[in-house]
Amino acid sequence: MELSAKPPKRAIWSGSITVGLVNVPVKLYPMIREKVFSFRMLHRRDNAPIKFKRVCSKCGEEVPLEEIVKGYEVRKGEYVVFEEEELEAIKPASSKKIALEKFVDLASVDPIYFHTSYILTPDKSEEAYALLLYTLQRTGKAGAGRLTLRSKEYPVLVHPYRGALIATTLHYPHEVVSPQDMEELQGIKEPPEEELELAATIVDALSDEFDLASYRDNYVERLQDLINKKLAGEVVVVEEAEKEEVRSLMEALRKTVEELKAKQE
Amino acid sequence: MELTKVKFTNLSKELFPGITKAKVIEYYIKVAPKMLPYLRKRAVVMHRFPDGIAGKGFFEKDAPSHTPSWVKTFRRYSEHAKRYVNYIVGDDLDTLLWMANLASLEINVTLSRVDDFEKPDIVLIDIDPAQGSGFAEAREVALLINDRLRELGLRSYVKTSGKRGLHVLIPIVREYSFKDTRAFVRELGRFVAKLRKEVKIDYAQNAVGKTMAAPYSLRPLEGAPVSTPLAWEELEKGLSPVELNINTVPERGDPWCGFFEPQRLEVRYGA
Repeated sequence: MELSAKPPKRAIWSGSITVGLVNVPVKLYPMIREKVFSFRMLHRRDNAPIKFKRVCSKCGEEVPLEEIVKGYEVRKGEYVVFEEEELEAIKPASSKKIALEKFVDLASVDPIYFHTSYILTPDKSEEAYALLLYTLQRTGKAGAGRLTLRSKEYPVLVHPYRGALIATTLHYPHEVVSPQDMEELQGIKEPPEEELELAATIVDALSDEFDLASYRDNYVERLQDLINKKLAGEVVVVEEAEKEEVRSLMEALRKTVEELKAKQE
Repeated sequence: MELTKVKFTNLSKELFPGITKAKVIEYYIKVAPKMLPYLRKRAVVMHRFPDGIAGKGFFEKDAPSHTPSWVKTFRRYSEHAKRYVNYIVGDDLDTLLWMANLASLEINVTLSRVDDFEKPDIVLIDIDPAQGSGFAEAREVALLINDRLRELGLRSYVKTSGKRGLHVLIPIVREYSFKDTRAFVRELGRFVAKLRKEVKIDYAQNAVGKTMAAPYSLRPLEGAPVSTPLAWEELEKGLSPVELNINTVPERGDPWCGFFEPQRLEVRYGA
């Protein structure tokens, strides 16, 4: 299958993979680039984009970034306040390195836990990177460790895929709902044998290779169609709102207009 | 009261290194009282740089399709382009600011006015230093030309090209053809060539529909230099053309006194 998403420009993480005393500096790039359509919110009356402001809920005033701290709500309306340095200080070691503690068969990991995948690239460490990649290819194993991204530590598997090392983050078991906890599933019983045999023959007849390339995102395609139609007919052009820069230009302009008027008289 | 019909957009876009579009528009606002008389009733060709001078620029001879209705235009068949050209007419402050907002860093004007397009009212002597020579040589030639024109009883006006050259302009009555003005400049060129070889005088610019950088136009080069009108005494004393730029020119007065009193070009050039 041909993978055709656009490669990302910027790494979202850099650090190193360690195996015992071996250290492989790497960069981490997003591998999954989900295509979603995003709309801007507009004011119906003049089609100007809606802007968000950070406003204090008590005094109603706009709050500059430097006056904003993080707080954790312990009880309704009660917060524990944190400074950025305090949060930085407790970041786990995995925010800078992925320590591979053991090696496992990738196929033995239940795919339901797979969260998302990232491409690891060597960070001036081509030889060490190649050694780890080829070793994992030859042994057919994945290295297991932890990785902290943003403010969360994930279990992670480092495994070879199409000539690269891939880091696949996993969900914790406590983040996954057990289907048996769904009430509606409590009364499911096994159907009679004849019914099962008949149904199985239908499945056999429809058995085929799975071809992901034949699937398309119908909703996105319809949206694109609609956009093209609108582009041909009714595009809304939005004029930029007046900003600080415009105000200072208007000041200069006032002088020029006066000067030109004086010349005419 | 509304100060301008133009809605300024993308003001924080960098057009020259370290210079935003807001600064470019502010420049044209400030020089407008000095500049507009030289644009009035002339066909204007914009040299636009939507992505700044680091990106690609293009000349826009025709009024673009999005031209607002209040911008005056002038339609004329161009022998050169073999089609009708719908020129923008430099007319008022709004038109100038509209062009500035389109990232038209350089504003070029014709040597005739649209109400009598075939008859030049300016003779342009474009002094362009050849490879290996520079502003110093252009300056010497310009001073020589001024002396020569004075002998012929003609007032002339000089401006920097904004690059290494100089433009000498002679305002004339609209009674001559471009063929006449071309012949006049060619004759002057021959006279200069006898004395100075390293500087070229481009007489072919004196033709219907051809343009020059307007007085006070920016030029698309690092540092945002300006094609700046000078007094002859300033040029005699000597100056550095790069110091005449977006920052310094708005503070200057207009040294071209009497430019709008046209003169007769005596036919002595033919003799």
